[in-house]
Amino acid sequence: MWIIIAAYNEGKVIREVLGEIQSAGYRNIIVVDDGSADDTAAQARKVSGVKVFRHPLNRGKGAATKTGIEAAKILGADIIVTLDGDGQHNPKDIENLIRPIQEGAVDVVLGTRLLHPKGMPWYKIIANYIGNAFTWYFYGLWVSDSQSGFRAYSRKAADCIDTKTDRYEYDSEVIREIHTHKLSFTEVPIEVRYTEYSMGKVHKQNVVNGIKTLYKIIWSIIS
Amino acid sequence: MTLALYQIVIIVLAVAMIIQGIRKFRSELSGQTLLKLAVRIIVWGGMAIVVAFPKVTNFVADIIGIEDNINAVILAGFLLLFLMVFKLLSAIERLEQQLTVLTRKKTLDGIQEDGK
Repeated sequence: MWIIIAAYNEGKVIREVLGEIQSAGYRNIIVVDDGSADDTAAQARKVSGVKVFRHPLNRGKGAATKTGIEAAKILGADIIVTLDGDGQHNPKDIENLIRPIQEGAVDVVLGTRLLHPKGMPWYKIIANYIGNAFTWYFYGLWVSDSQSGFRAYSRKAADCIDTKTDRYEYDSEVIREIHTHKLSFTEVPIEVRYTEYSMGKVHKQNVVNGIKTLYKIIWSIIS
Repeated sequence: MTLALYQIVIIVLAVAMIIQGIRKFRSELSGQTLLKLAVRIIVWGGMAIVVAFPKVTNFVADIIGIEDNINAVILAGFLLLFLMVFKLLSAIERLEQQLTVLTRKKTLDGIQEDGK
């Protein structure tokens, strides 16, 4: 199993995030630095055993995640887990996330913040429901958290899923791919830790990015 | 038929642009496709015809169903602009995707060289 972290300007926290994952017992970790302006890649390289790749240009969270998945496939991954690089996801949830795949029950496990949205700001809950509604309308599959980046894929799913979008619309596009390829999936509640750091990041999914994501989804359909 | 100065300027410009397009297409060096040439001829040729024969706009108005010929021409222009913007956005999107593929290939070159 390989864990993928797409990171952009996470130099302040990336070592802590990687240390926490390793403390939870996971050694196979790939960090894709998405052309950060800070020292994210250098900080990640200080953590032993972590494979670090760096996009020479910033291409977006979706693009970096896909690069990580491609790297994991080359390295022979049987299960691939993706999570955010700002420390908002708890590595202890990885066990629950990969279990259904290890048992052969499903191809994809989606971590969902909305089954137990404890500590989640109300406006994020509303924004996520709006995102879910648009994802369902355009891509034909209802899930409780279409914008969560904490997910696990079987090798079969990783081979099937072929995304084209680069930025936040990637998360919704994966839902479309699950629907298109008739992959089996389940949703598992995850804990999300909204820290001052993660909430303060300007490139995170916000209202403007949400509108851009919607525009990109519509554009991908009509173009 | 007497032509005003603006008509002469636009017609000369349109003819020059069409000739340049045909030259590019024939040289096959500048990536000029038949589609691009056709678009160029339609846009510049259409402009030259409307300027040289303003009454053509009445025909356009009849086809579109708008009584005022100037409104019909403006509407047709907006539609053409919309199509061009659409095509431009598609091209940018395609370039963005190609850039990402290239970035990914460069990023993952090392992993394959390591043979891991």
